[in-house]
Amino acid sequence: MKTPIIDITDLSKFYGKARGIEHVNLEIGEGEIFGFIGPNGAGKSTTIRILMNMIFPTGGSARIMGMDVIRETKKIKSQVGYIPSDASAYFSMDVHEFLSYCIRFYQVQNGEQRIAELSGMFELDLNRKIADLSMGNRKKVSIVQSLLHSPKLLILDEPTTGLDPLMQSVFFELLRSENQKGMTIFFSSHILGEVQMLCKRVAIIKEGKIIQVEDIETLRKKQLKKVYIEFEDQVGKENFSIPGSESVITGSGNILSFMYSGNINELVSMLSGNKITNLMIEEPSLDEIFMHYYKL
Amino acid sequence: MNRNLFLKELRRNALSLIVWMIVITLFISVTMAVYPVFVENQSKIIGMMSLIPGELLQFKGISNFNDFLSVLGFYAVNNIIYMMVLGSIYAIVLSSGILLKEEYNKTAEYLLTRPLTRSEIFVSKLAVLTLNVFLLNLVTALAGFISLELFKNGPFSIRAFLILSLYTLLLNILFGAIGLFLSTLVKRAKPITTFSIGLVLIFYFIFTLSKITEGIAKIGYLSPFRYVNTDATNPAYTIDFWHLLYFIGISLLLTVLSYRLYNRKDIYI
Repeated sequence: MKTPIIDITDLSKFYGKARGIEHVNLEIGEGEIFGFIGPNGAGKSTTIRILMNMIFPTGGSARIMGMDVIRETKKIKSQVGYIPSDASAYFSMDVHEFLSYCIRFYQVQNGEQRIAELSGMFELDLNRKIADLSMGNRKKVSIVQSLLHSPKLLILDEPTTGLDPLMQSVFFELLRSENQKGMTIFFSSHILGEVQMLCKRVAIIKEGKIIQVEDIETLRKKQLKKVYIEFEDQVGKENFSIPGSESVITGSGNILSFMYSGNINELVSMLSGNKITNLMIEEPSLDEIFMHYYKL
Repeated sequence: MNRNLFLKELRRNALSLIVWMIVITLFISVTMAVYPVFVENQSKIIGMMSLIPGELLQFKGISNFNDFLSVLGFYAVNNIIYMMVLGSIYAIVLSSGILLKEEYNKTAEYLLTRPLTRSEIFVSKLAVLTLNVFLLNLVTALAGFISLELFKNGPFSIRAFLILSLYTLLLNILFGAIGLFLSTLVKRAKPITTFSIGLVLIFYFIFTLSKITEGIAKIGYLSPFRYVNTDATNPAYTIDFWHLLYFIGISLLLTVLSYRLYNRKDIYI
């Protein structure tokens, strides 16, 4: 891996006694599109807010481009773009006023041109008051403000909420194109599908801890198989145990479906003593793999 | 300080500043317009006021009828409440919201992700707060001075007027610092406007109550209003060094504490 653009070491955050994140370690290389996935409350936003110096860690450290996120926050932020999950903005401003205000914080040549170019891409009406915009349009404003200064690193916290599928595809296309120009993207989401579409590597966070960091493709190619068995007679998970089978779900009384990580031959020989009417062994979807990791 | 943030904050708060300026100026002008009528009918008014219990007159800040009949005495008793109480409410409302508003309006995520240090954010907002409080005091003092000039029936001490105005400014700045400090103590983003206004009124209430009730006179020292001397018609009227030290000292202390707290504050959205 290239030099990490984000380097998180043993990072923890507790809110009093409540857990935010615990001993998080993560390295993200320059030029990566990295997915950060987990359900609400898992610690995604906590991690991001520490990176953006909105909250302070209770332990560990984090560096962006080799700089400490607390001590060198100003330098870091001049090269980082951020899309918050909540698309609130200064409601008294119009879109152009807000974007001009944002761009003045950076040394950007042809700022007006950049505003026009990006807002044109997302069909934003620059003269409208932010207060009058729909959630989706506010999200577009949020996307545009994050890209105005052509950052080296883009941090996205649930960026697609409120965007229609067409705009999502424009947005993803833009992200891919910016990535090809060298931008690193840290994409946090609870929707695996969109992470899968965009990211090459992913970290799964659960209850404040990273439980898996993997290439999307490797994650797919894990030995996990989705097994579906229809028996002639009734069967229950409590009296049906196969070594290597996890996440057992019973359908109706005579159906079993589970994720299997053992040897297929062993599974087939174990099943041979049963009267089976249907057997399917297939590749699980990424969502199912994710859920599997999550239930462990 | 960041110029971009400073100018944006200045614009954001301009309308409310203008409204407060107009309101206080109107209060002062209307009250001072009554002064000539008051002087014309002074014998009747003195007769009427002699029926009022001394404690109630004390409550209004009147200790001597003759002082009250001079234009500066009338101004000090009647108008200073607008400038001191309303000005302090303005200062505390502005200061308690200037940092906190970014949190409960959920705009802090935009502000804190710009290339700015917490110190730059704090100093830029503090500069806007100080400038606005100063401008409000400047305009209202100017309105007071014009009213005094328009309605006076004899000379008045400009020095005493300036000391009175300085006391008002110091009091307003102190409440500004109190509001700023309180806002940095708030853990979860929510407005504290009502609480802040209530605090000014409680302090004013404690002060006035301590003036009319001998038994609780000492409680008055808890209120910043206690350290404002409005006895402008007294020939020995001057700014008390210890009172000056009190206002500047507490304001600076609270500002430094706010700065330190804000620099280490977890900002939740």
